[in-house]
Amino acid sequence: MSSRELEGYRSGQPAQLADVLERVLDKGIVIAGDIQINLLDIELLTVKIRLLIASADKAREMGIDWWEGDAFLSKKNGQGELEQRLRKLEESAGLPTAPKEKSD
Amino acid sequence: MTTPAATAPLRRNDLGWYLYGVAAADETSVPLGARLAAGAAQKVELVAEGSLVGVASRVSLQEFDEPTLPERLRDATWLEEKIRAHEQVLERVLEDASVVPCRFCTVYRSEVELRRFLSERRETLQAALDRVRGKVEVGVKAFIDSDRFTAGRAKQNDDIRQLETQVSTAEGGRAYMERRRLEQLVASELERFRGEAADRIHTHLLAAAEDGLALPLQTPELSGRDEKMVFNGAYLVTADRGAFEDALASLARDIRDDGVDLELTGPWPAYNFVPVELSAE
Repeated sequence: MSSRELEGYRSGQPAQLADVLERVLDKGIVIAGDIQINLLDIELLTVKIRLLIASADKAREMGIDWWEGDAFLSKKNGQGELEQRLRKLEESAGLPTAPKEKSD
Repeated sequence: MTTPAATAPLRRNDLGWYLYGVAAADETSVPLGARLAAGAAQKVELVAEGSLVGVASRVSLQEFDEPTLPERLRDATWLEEKIRAHEQVLERVLEDASVVPCRFCTVYRSEVELRRFLSERRETLQAALDRVRGKVEVGVKAFIDSDRFTAGRAKQNDDIRQLETQVSTAEGGRAYMERRRLEQLVASELERFRGEAADRIHTHLLAAAEDGLALPLQTPELSGRDEKMVFNGAYLVTADRGAFEDALASLARDIRDDGVDLELTGPWPAYNFVPVELSAE
């Protein structure tokens, strides 16, 4: 327990990947480098890697390589499905929605 | 942007420059340079250009150039490794110096191009650097424990208290219906309180920071915690963080009984407090 936990809050170390992604992929200065992923690709990338994290545990249970054969950046297959999955994630993460009823 | 180099065919061993961020020459000491050069798997170099220093690594253009990059980006193992490396390099710089972080995968084909960027954008880079000088970014996440909320804070609501009394005296089918109503009432009070708590947290912390902003909330899959996230914020604070951490500690004590727990992350390079795009000069 760090001394700060005695102060009543947790101090998150080491950094969680989600917090790193939130910054390294979404923020920071964007400059016209010679080579740079364009902004659209960055957005797609951000979506993709978040989904990968979100589904990583489940995929590991199933014992599959969860990033193999991903059609994400080929922009052909899976986009509709991806968007749906994203929307679900966003809904569950988003601003207050209609209160959920307990099912029990 | 088309340069002669962009159109020339690549040779196998061509090296480019991956730029992690920009620091001030007067803050980046020789010992920092030595530590950066020795510490990482990827050798990090300080490229000084006037008052600015680019924190950069030589990278293989086979690995980072446009034709191959999309393929790399599909490889989650590669991505995580590179994203973490980007962050770790900047964290080591941050121990000694203020830094303007670049976004992931900012690559120049040559040192000449990198230096040209640093000199052509000197004024805007310097302004961005001045803003974060002597400061760091910290993250604050807040989660709500619904059991603690139900047992404590929820009872401040008159309707909930009243309904609880009714539930305790009701019998049979009516007792069931009232319990269901109580659950729904507590759930909607929790939703309302989430917004109130987020405002309260942000206002309190902003007063102890140079600047701050709310980030999108994370799902339990991303946050790694079962409790609902009620707030996710980033703050620009003085590098010693003392005043901010005091404010955070007093807030944590005040809000704990309502079922809210706070988590501090960082220090981070000030990703959220540098301009997203450099305007053309």
